Amino acid sequence: MSDAFFFHPALFFFLGMWFLPRLSPGVRRILLLVVPLGAFTIVTTLSHGMHWQAEVGNITLVFGRVDKLAMVFAAVFSLMAIIGAIYGLHVDNPWEHTASWGYVGSALGCVFAGDYLTLFLFWEGLMVSSVCLVFLRKTEESLRAGYRYFLVHVFGGLLLLAGIFLLYHNSGDLSFVAIKEDGAGLAAYLILAGFLLNAAVPPLHAWLPDAYGSATVMGAVFMCAYTTKTAVYALARAFPGFDILIPLGVIMALYGVVYAVLENDARRLLAYHIISQVGYMVTGVGIGTALAINGACAHAYAHILYKALLFMGVGSVLHVTGRSKFSELGGLWRHMPWTLVFTLVGGLSISAFPLFSGFVSKSMVISGAWGDHLPWAALLLTLASAGTFLHTGLKVPYYIWFWREKPPFEPPRGEAPLNMLIAMGIAAFYCIFIGVSPGYLYSLLPYPVDYQPYTAGHIMQSYQILLFTMLGFFLLINKLHPEPKIGLDLDWFYRRGGRWFMVFCRKVLFTIDDGLIKNLHATVALPLLRSFSRLADRHDKRIIDGVVDGSAEAVLHLGNRMRCMLQQGLISRYVAKMLTVLAVTIFIALLLTGK
Amino acid sequence: MMIVRFIAWLRARLRLVIIACYFILALLIFVDIGIPRHHPHFLGDMIPGFWAGFGFFACVLIIVFSKWLGKKFLFRPEGYYETLDNGGKGNE
Repeated sequence: MSDAFFFHPALFFFLGMWFLPRLSPGVRRILLLVVPLGAFTIVTTLSHGMHWQAEVGNITLVFGRVDKLAMVFAAVFSLMAIIGAIYGLHVDNPWEHTASWGYVGSALGCVFAGDYLTLFLFWEGLMVSSVCLVFLRKTEESLRAGYRYFLVHVFGGLLLLAGIFLLYHNSGDLSFVAIKEDGAGLAAYLILAGFLLNAAVPPLHAWLPDAYGSATVMGAVFMCAYTTKTAVYALARAFPGFDILIPLGVIMALYGVVYAVLENDARRLLAYHIISQVGYMVTGVGIGTALAINGACAHAYAHILYKALLFMGVGSVLHVTGRSKFSELGGLWRHMPWTLVFTLVGGLSISAFPLFSGFVSKSMVISGAWGDHLPWAALLLTLASAGTFLHTGLKVPYYIWFWREKPPFEPPRGEAPLNMLIAMGIAAFYCIFIGVSPGYLYSLLPYPVDYQPYTAGHIMQSYQILLFTMLGFFLLINKLHPEPKIGLDLDWFYRRGGRWFMVFCRKVLFTIDDGLIKNLHATVALPLLRSFSRLADRHDKRIIDGVVDGSAEAVLHLGNRMRCMLQQGLISRYVAKMLTVLAVTIFIALLLTGK
Repeated sequence: MMIVRFIAWLRARLRLVIIACYFILALLIFVDIGIPRHHPHFLGDMIPGFWAGFGFFACVLIIVFSKWLGKKFLFRPEGYYETLDNGGKGNE
């Protein structure tokens, strides 16, 4: 095993990060294409097994665990890196590319990590590099959203880290393998919570539309692919068959759909549909059968491509017109027809139309739910898929490209840049290719696939659901017109809560400080000081001065008495005193010398 | 441009397009009667046109429920979070 070939594909990106800001724009563009292509090629040649292990103390760090589960995700991650690089080729800011490569590299690092510490290392790398993609939008709003994103993910990272420490404390083993549901303790559930936050499972999901709606055009395309799908990979690795994931996944699938109705910003709408789509994958992991796990992986693979395609389409509109809100868009079909076609392909794929990629992957999860005797899960997921088509397949194209006769602003002079169109074309090709020949995708999946999506009944069911959803859409279209409003989500608690904390600081703490602490100084401290100084003053005057003045007075008094006694001012007395002294002196001298 | 001309052509015949769509919908239910059902998962799979009704009501339910939720609880004006910021700044 050890002589088998392994070179970590993430290294391509990490090494490339060093060069990117140092190159001229022309050379940089070449590097931008060469590095992801190199990584993509190397991923296909990796041989299974454990590689690049390092002993640190009594912990074994594994940087290169390669197996089928890791390979599905690595394959689509590196493919997505190529598409994203082409899409962002026109972006001149080298730091945006640097951040996106750090992001891709970290995601690949997570996928190949064989122990929890290595996973955690790259997990945090994922967060740090992706927050840069939000900051680099360089608007006031993105700065705020970025900080919120950062703080939420720091919280998630700490949950994960706490779980890892506890796991090490309990078992001394940090290998990143499936955890059994029966023996799962606090450590396992802390790790699970860390993963669920990155998978955007409600109530830990509000960071996603918040950040993805505020990221740069290129950044959002990258972000929609990696963070949540890395979390799906981690869940599939560590928590397959955890029953709690089934209801959570179904709630996600419906939650995203409900919120997408309320959304006026196209990129935020798509972000809510990430939550919805990841819900299918989480459900699949929770069901845990071979078919369902296959479905989760297949859906992750297909999802990365069609969701990126949708984000690219809407991003192109944002790039060209500077707008992403439905209420400010419309009537673009004459001006950006190719973007419309590609976005439609993405919309049909996510909606699981026959011959598009979602059809062959989403149905695996739903079949897994039927097969595991969970009819409620299967029906609710089918319900959510009607909502998916309603929004991404109908609402997005309709309100951006049609609806109005003409755009409500100076019409754009032309299509999106060529590189954007090419990237969209490649993603659209893969969406249709996977839909038409699912064998390619199925051969990548972790378990052998015995599943046939193209049965008459299944095709019929899909067409009925989707086309009658369309009927409902056009009948209720007056209810759906975009409103320039926002829908409150659970980020309200920390956004408003944070504001309230600020208000609390400004109003309450400031008042206490201003009214009491300041007055404390004026009413308590100063008088105290004053009385103290008065005391000191008295002490000084009465005691110190008393002692000093007293002794001086005593000396003066003594001097006066002496003077009064000795110097009366009468010459006769002075003469008498002098004669007396003289006589006494002579007498003593005689007494001493005489015999 | 081909796509633009095609869309313009369709838009010029909007009534015809709508009629064609209704025809397709009717055809879907009609064909469903004759489709063989190998592995029905539950009762609904046996009823022709069940999924058509499911799709339609799913769509209506999602729209009506979400809009109700929005109007009743969740909708706020666009500058909702920002206004509070400014209010905060005003105090400084």
